[in-house]
Amino acid sequence: MSQPPSAAPPGPGGGDPVAGLLRVVAQARPGADAGLIRRAYEVAARWHQGQLRKSGEPYITHPLAVATIVAEVGADDQTLCAALLHDTLEGTSYTLAALRAEFGAEIAGLVAGAMDADTMTGQETAPAPAGPAGAAVVCGDARILVIKLADRLHNMRTLRHLPAAAQAQKSRQTLEILVPIAGRLHLDAIRSELENLAADTLNRHGPSTATASGRLLAAAAALLPAATRARWYEEWLGELSALPTRRARVSFAAQTLLGIGRLAVTLHRPGRSNQAYRQ
Amino acid sequence: MTLQTQLVLRALLAEPTAERYGLQLCAETGLPSGTIYPIVARLEQLGWVESSWEDPREHVAEGRPRRRYYRLTDAGAQQARDALARVHRSRKQPRFGPAVTWPEFSGRSW
Repeated sequence: MSQPPSAAPPGPGGGDPVAGLLRVVAQARPGADAGLIRRAYEVAARWHQGQLRKSGEPYITHPLAVATIVAEVGADDQTLCAALLHDTLEGTSYTLAALRAEFGAEIAGLVAGAMDADTMTGQETAPAPAGPAGAAVVCGDARILVIKLADRLHNMRTLRHLPAAAQAQKSRQTLEILVPIAGRLHLDAIRSELENLAADTLNRHGPSTATASGRLLAAAAALLPAATRARWYEEWLGELSALPTRRARVSFAAQTLLGIGRLAVTLHRPGRSNQAYRQ
Repeated sequence: MTLQTQLVLRALLAEPTAERYGLQLCAETGLPSGTIYPIVARLEQLGWVESSWEDPREHVAEGRPRRRYYRLTDAGAQQARDALARVHRSRKQPRFGPAVTWPEFSGRSW
């Protein structure tokens, strides 16, 4: 099909679906072109009409959330529009030529770049968008990476709708590739949320209270001061996972439990840092 | 200073800039984990040792949870050398010489 369905779907509850995004945009960047952003939303909403996320929500909720994330970091109008349109070239029959005709070469280049960047496997920069559409967008344009990061962030926020194995794989990839990129771009809020979501997911699927050793270590950690519990528990789970046999893991957990009283006493003693060794 | 603490310090000083996780220290000292963790926690409080999480690039590539790594601080390495030297000197003295004790580490493990 070459024509989009004609009517834009109504927003949730009948309200203006773009209102929330435009509020964020206006706050971050008062001079933003609200008309252009609304037009990009309407085109994306038409093309994604009838599509659903894994969560069962209308698909358009995803590009809208991605655009809101890029708005929060002060992205320009082109990046906002590209975020709204970022999945239209892959999931619908909208074409790059049509996109370029409607929104210009710059936005089309960003959308194409964000699409190509899907294939990145740890390269420093995204590959150049194919064809003349990319001419206006520099190879490795940081704006493409911002869209990809926001895309992953919203996908990580809704990761629970994927099977467990896919959750672990996406989380590892997030830590390996996307967290360092967010760090290099100094997008600290995005970096830390990505890192936390991914680390939490991996911890949930790693060795844990599902095993006897995990339960022993959880019991041991419960005896430590609350502020230090999570760190030690995570440290022990890290050690546990390196042990080859169940017997070695149970032994490690039991040995650690034997020292818990002394560790608890040590950690309960505050304000002793930089103290000199005394005879 | 207890014998166990001396063993940990000697293990750390064998390669003072290296990072080690808990199980490595267990292997290098022959001490069980229940003895190692209270000692490194105390050394960290004293500022002799610092600890940090493993770089995601390493544990993620291997698909396992991250490790906590310990290493001597610069000041800690010097203090550890001095402390071990004092222990060594005191051993050559008669038993009524100044006893080397470290109240936090003396006594039996439990």
